[in-house]
Parts: sequence; C-alpha cells; structure tokens
Amino acid sequence: MQDKKRVITRRDFIRGTIGATIGTSILGLNWPMDEAKAAHSSLVTVVRDKSAMDASKNVNSAILSKMIGQTLIKVTGRNNTKEAWLSLVKPNDMIGLVPTDHLNQTHDEVVNAVKSSLVEAGIPRDRIILAQGGASLPKKCTALIALPALKAHWLTGIGTVLKNYIMFSGSPSRYHEGNSAKLGEIWNLPFVKGKTKLVLVDSLYPLCDKGPQPDPRYQWAYNGLIAGIDPVAVETVCLKIITEKRKAIRREPWPLSPPPLCVEAADKVYGLGTSKLEEIRIEHYGWEKELLI
Amino acid sequence: MKWFLKIIFFCLTIVMAFAAHEGADAEMSLYYLPETVGVWNRSESFKTIDSTNIFKYMNGAGELYLGYRFDHLEVFDYTSENQEHILVELYFMETTDDAFGLLSLDWGGEPVSLDGLPADSPNRSLASQTRALYGAGLLRIWSDNLYIRIMAFRETPASRQAVLDLGKAITVDRKTPPEPELLKSFAPHVSSTWKLRRDRLSFFRSYLALNSIYYLSHENILDFDLSTEAVIAPYESISSAGERKRSQFMLVKYKNRVSAQNALNHFHDIYLSEYKKGDMADLSEKSLSLFKVEDGWMGYKLIDNFVAIVFECPDRESAGAFIQETSLGGDHAR
Repeated sequence: MQDKKRVITRRDFIRGTIGATIGTSILGLNWPMDEAKAAHSSLVTVVRDKSAMDASKNVNSAILSKMIGQTLIKVTGRNNTKEAWLSLVKPNDMIGLVPTDHLNQTHDEVVNAVKSSLVEAGIPRDRIILAQGGASLPKKCTALIALPALKAHWLTGIGTVLKNYIMFSGSPSRYHEGNSAKLGEIWNLPFVKGKTKLVLVDSLYPLCDKGPQPDPRYQWAYNGLIAGIDPVAVETVCLKIITEKRKAIRREPWPLSPPPLCVEAADKVYGLGTSKLEEIRIEHYGWEKELLI
Repeated sequence: MKWFLKIIFFCLTIVMAFAAHEGADAEMSLYYLPETVGVWNRSESFKTIDSTNIFKYMNGAGELYLGYRFDHLEVFDYTSENQEHILVELYFMETTDDAFGLLSLDWGGEPVSLDGLPADSPNRSLASQTRALYGAGLLRIWSDNLYIRIMAFRETPASRQAVLDLGKAITVDRKTPPEPELLKSFAPHVSSTWKLRRDRLSFFRSYLALNSIYYLSHENILDFDLSTEAVIAPYESISSAGERKRSQFMLVKYKNRVSAQNALNHFHDIYLSEYKKGDMADLSEKSLSLFKVEDGWMGYKLIDNFVAIVFECPDRESAGAFIQETSLGGDHAR
C-alpha cells in the first residue's frame, strides 16, 4: 500500500528524516526505492592551479589542459590521458559534451580543452557534439560527459551536477520548487541512464549564493576542476565547497536555503550514487589555499 | 468584407497600442540612461522582458521576480573597446514595496549614497534606510518602484565609478518613498534581551522567497500569494559568556481575516500536525499558542488579518515574549 504523500518541512531536516520524507513526499512510495543501491565508496578528485586564471579572470588554456589531464589520470587510475579517456569512452561512441550554457556558464575554455583532449586520445572530431538542450541530443549520444559550472541556486540550493540535465526532460519547469528533489529521475530516463562516463565540474570561478543570476560578491577564484564518475558524490563535494565558502564569507554558519533536496534524493530515491561524505574518497592535487574540503 | 475590415482595424489598433506602450517605456528608460559613461557607450538596442519570457532570459531566477509584483524588466548594455561591458537591469515593479523587497533579500555590500545624503545611518529608521548597495562590481538599488542591478563584468576603479554614475543618473529626481509599513511592527528589542538584526530583515510575498531566506517547507504552507505582505527577521541574544542565540520572527499580512485564519490552519496542519489545534478564532487572540519542536520553541498568533510566528526560541518564555509583545505599528495599529 502506498504511503500518504507527505509535505517536506524544516522539521524533517532537523529530525534527520528527510530521506524517508523525500521518498514518500515526491513519489508516494516507501523509501528507499528498489533502484536505490547499497552504500559504496566513490572517488572525487579536486585539481587546482593558482594560475588557472589571471587576476582579470582570463583562463590560461595551457594550464587548464594540464589540469584536465591530471584529473583524468587520477579519476581512472590510468597512466596517461589517452588511456584514461579510452577507459571511459570508445572511439566509435557518439560523445555528447554537456556544459552549462546559460548564466554562470561553463567556461568555453573548459569545453574546448575537453574536446581537444578527446581528439588527442583518438576520438574522431565528428564523434563529439555539444549535447546541452532538449532530449534529441542525448538520444543521439552513446556517451555523455557532464561539464557543469559550480553554482548555488536560489530555488534548488545547488544548481550544478544534477540540475545540468534539466533540459533533457523537455519540461524544466516540472523540476522547480519542491519538485527539484526529482532532478535525479532525469538521469534515469532511458536515453540518459548509464551514459554519463565522467562528471567534470568547472569550478574555476564558482558562485556560492544568489545563483543562477551572476553576483560577483559571491564569486571567487577557486581555480579548480572537480571530477568523478559518481554524479552524486561529485555534487556532494561541490556542496561542501559552497557551504564552506558561505561560512567563510559570513564568519558564521550560512546554510544553503532552501536545502538541496535533490542531492539526498539522487542517492536514496534514485540510486545514482552516494551523498554521504564519509563514503566519498576525496583526492586533492595542486593549490591548497582555501581548499574548503 | 465589412467584418474582415473591422477585424483588420481592430488588430491594427491593438498592435499600435502595444507599440505605443513599449515606446513609452523605452523613452522613459532612455531618459534615465546616459549615452556614455566614462569609456562605456550604451548599445542602441535593449531587451524588454516580461513574465512571458523571463525564464528564457534568466532561467529559474525568474521565479524570484515573479514572486513579487513584477511588471517588466529592461536590459541595457554598455560597451567599451578596452573594458568588459556593464549590464544595466531595470526591474519595473508594481509598487515601491516590491522593489524594496528585492533589495531586502540581501543587505550585503557597501551602502552608497546616490543623492548626497548619508548612505546609511542606523538611527534614521528601524530598517536600513540604505537604498543602494555596492559590492565587487555590482550596484543594487531600490528607487521607488524600480529595482536596479548595474553590474560591471570586471571591476576596476573606472568601472566602479561608471557603475555609480549610472546609478545616480537613473535615480536622479525619482521619488524616495518610505519602507513597507509592515516593518514598523518589528520592535528593535524584545524583552530587552533580544535585538533585531536589521541587516537580515526581508520583505517578501512568496514562499519561494521565504525559503531562500529561511527554509520552512517546499510547499506553500502559509498560503502566500501576491496579495500577501510578509517580513521576516532574526533577533539575537548574546549572553554575558558570549553565547549567541537566534530566533526568527515573521509577520504576514493577508487580504482579510478569513484568509489569515485559513493560512494559519493550513500551517498548523502541516507543520504542527501532532499538536491538537485550538479554536484559533478564540485561542490565538486570548492565549498563547506555543509549541516545543525540534529546533526549540515556536509560537504563533492571529491578529485580525495578520499572522505572527516565531521560530527557534530557546525556551517557552522567549517564544511567549515574542508573541505577546507583537503589536501592529504604523497604519496597521488597531
């Protein structure tokens, strides 16, 4: 028998019962769903370089390419960039790059560097497309590389990894407000599920409040790339960095409001990965100042 | 054939009326906006955004503006050969309270004066009289029914000056009406130990805006709509040992008493479902409705068409003090 749908409130967060409430609230089902997987360990890498951007926020493409290479090697455990890419995708894959294309968008330099790196690894140029937009684009692809930009979002708390595929749904407004908890279901659509081979977050110049509209008071030069195979683990590390930055700005706890329901739901309801920091192995390389993790 | 001509004439009239309306807006905005500022020149074209295309312009951020009484937005660009551009966004709101509300969502930044008067004087008013805040290249202004964002994409001494000059040019000779009346109901102190954090006080009309300030629920459990007015602000108490406690006080004005009572019923049913509800029409007026929940004591009170709620009090007495001492100041006073 289905449980009665419940309304999520502040009290659920304080009680620590949000996971169960999300399950019954957004789906009217017992929690957790059958699809939810057992706990596991995930690796997330944070690669930073102090010189990735200059004082005027211009991106140094050579340094960025090096950071992407480091990221791939660390995420896959392979010896070089080519081997790393070929462990994730095949030369005959149709690869869709999915950047954030509007408001605090992914830097063009990041998209171009990923594309160049794939080509250097032997992927034909015509097998790489930009796949941000409606459902027709991911349908063409056999592999997706998510390239969101790190930002807080005033409606969903965070608007980075899980929200990056919202246009694939064909109806983004369906995922606004309380329904933002359901963002994970987009990753389980038949033409999306299992296709994401790498999540690489552009965290060169993140936004920790008031997103998606740009607000330079809350943007800072983190000069980093955050990556992993597990989208929820990557989002969880992104969340940690944003939360710590907010605390540093106000010198007191400044939790994201509204709380990002979608992250825990992606774990506990949709089984996309882990949202528990203790299950995530974070490996950091490079610049250490204000690492925030 | 006659009918056909009539229809054509009717359509033409509508098109011309719209054109005249848009032209008037454009003329008004261009009047405020200088052609050049520093080394920046205003682009000839500009965008007009309304509720039908706001999501295309700013994705989900559009919900924020539609949560207030939004009329339309005009977007201008200033470009320079050697500098990053400057974006000017003029949000035309239906009332000055709505423009104030947008500024009040974040009092962060450096208060700046656009009219030569002191930018911020804590004793001038209960809430900040600040009407313009600058930070890192972004200037935000409350000017009558206009909420303005002027943003330099790269902050330099020259771009800062240009941004401030644009702010002055746009707001010159515009009215400076007072803050929303509802703010007058927020006492600077409660029970002598609780002090209002005026730098965190926000005016809003939607539960989405509330959630971005203080998360309550992903559903609209207090029945907010564009006819409601609400203010929320934290009060702080600092003990002699330096321990800081914070409670949140919210006051919501509904269009009538029935709406307020229904909203409070709705809120109680969802938020306090384990507590038996009293007869609000009677109980809330005459006695305290106080509850112990996970993050402390909370309480509420129905006063005519107003609902007062306090959250996160450390004890029953504090919650009671907030509720008992609630009085409706200004024109709201009974």
